[in-house]
Amino acid sequence: MSTRLPLPAAAQLPLRAGIGLRAQHHADIVAHRPVVGWFEAHSENYFAAGGAQRSCLTRIRADYALSLHGVGLSIGSTDPLNRDHLEQIVRLVHDFEPMLVSEHLSWSSVGGRFSNDLLPLPYTEEALRHMATRVRDVQDALGRQILIENVSSYLQFNCSRMSEWEFLTSLAEESGCGILLDVNNVYVSACNHGFDAHAYLQALPRSAVKEIHLAGHTVRRIGEAEIRIDTHNTHVCDAVWDLYSMAAKRFNGVPTLIEWDADIPSLDVLVAEAHKADCIAGEERAAAA
Amino acid sequence: MLQLRELQRSFDSALFDDASEAVAPWVRGCESDSANGAAIDAHVRIAIYRNNLREGFRKALALEFPVIERLVGEDYFRQLALSFLAEHPSRAGDLHPIGEPFAHFLHSRFEDTPYAYMTDVATLEWTYQQSLIAADAPPFDVATLRDIPPEAYGQLRFSLHPACGLVRSPYPVMRIWAVNQAEATGDEVVDLSSGADFVLIRRAAEGVEMRRIATADFAILQAFSQQAPLADALQQARALDPEFDLGEALRRFISLGVLAAAHTTHSTSPGVTPP
Repeated sequence: MSTRLPLPAAAQLPLRAGIGLRAQHHADIVAHRPVVGWFEAHSENYFAAGGAQRSCLTRIRADYALSLHGVGLSIGSTDPLNRDHLEQIVRLVHDFEPMLVSEHLSWSSVGGRFSNDLLPLPYTEEALRHMATRVRDVQDALGRQILIENVSSYLQFNCSRMSEWEFLTSLAEESGCGILLDVNNVYVSACNHGFDAHAYLQALPRSAVKEIHLAGHTVRRIGEAEIRIDTHNTHVCDAVWDLYSMAAKRFNGVPTLIEWDADIPSLDVLVAEAHKADCIAGEERAAAA
Repeated sequence: MLQLRELQRSFDSALFDDASEAVAPWVRGCESDSANGAAIDAHVRIAIYRNNLREGFRKALALEFPVIERLVGEDYFRQLALSFLAEHPSRAGDLHPIGEPFAHFLHSRFEDTPYAYMTDVATLEWTYQQSLIAADAPPFDVATLRDIPPEAYGQLRFSLHPACGLVRSPYPVMRIWAVNQAEATGDEVVDLSSGADFVLIRRAAEGVEMRRIATADFAILQAFSQQAPLADALQQARALDPEFDLGEALRRFISLGVLAAAHTTHSTSPGVTPP
């Protein structure tokens, strides 16, 4: 069943943490070349045929390692796979030779209508078979392994028959994809649904996790209750840093990325956040040595 | 596939058609909710996603039409975006194309009202957005003209650079655009009857640039964008300006990077030309 695609040897991202690439920072990055390990670009932001955005990415790619992170392929949708969208990603992968390519454990469209959001899947055998087939189709089109990221969710489906970590683990086994472990998303969903975030991390197979994401989130009060929303608009919170320590220990040497996509601060704030991740990962590596 | 398909269709209805009762039976009850031990209703959970959809769509639209948002104000823009979402939801995994039918949508709303000018402002903003992302092209190669015998000049077809756009309006849209830029200060009032604008949008080294151009320049460039032969294009320009100097105009267009190529046979041009 397993069709694991080997990563080419050159596809290693640096150990030093990377940051999410935003157009607001393009000029600053080109001018000052901040000390970060790598950049991650949202694939859809570079679908343009030409222009300044694309040429900036070309300049940045010349100096840094890169990963491509898609938010719109709607891989979990029951609509036919969007071949135009996939072709755009194939073109970007060809042009920019990223070290990693990732998508989400989610869907965002049905009947051709797109919410452009990361909607949760039910964790059923049917959804698992569907996702595994789609991931294999995408990997075949790209000729390489992709990573699938766990998303934050605000509801669960009562038809689910397995946990999210069981679903992700089976998906990796069946499709040969890697896992992009978003530690913030694990924490947000654990709080929202009352499961144990540490158990989630312990259950994921070490060999399948190829990248880690960190981001900030927002707590929203609803009456007496509270719900955590994945807003990517602030610093990583202390509880998520604690969880990251555990992740850095368990998934030693896996590249880490800082995401910040709304209310975007100056580049140095993001660089400082990446350095904080480096310190924590460095301590865990030293302790393990 | 049946269950997953049905669930996704129900969820879609809950998001777009406000029919959260369609998906509520699929959503787990909140007995096990540990956050403060307090339950959050399934409808409230679904509303979080509906809100994400609406806000994400509104923000993406506002990024493409900042002048329209400034003209109508944030609150009214939010209402417009909601109506626009209902009529023209996103059809792609990339949000950038959502703005394409916006000028048409505004036209259907504001035709025959004092706000009819907003359609042309939206067209200008959309053309600007298209110019930002259009394909790159090498500068016009003047040497190509040398190989063409003078008797064939009339049948020459110029194509415009892909990032080049043309917008005409009976309103002073260029002025409206300029005084409503984020960095513009003061409350300058634009007289809507202060004249028509013929605007050239092009990509320069510093970014996308807009400028008002003469009606004859506009006419010949528009003819080029429609692949008209030079003789016909020139005739259209001369109809507006009998003194129109073709050589001087071509030199100017080349220095502005507006022309991409010249062909002696018919070919399609990828230029940014709004309807």
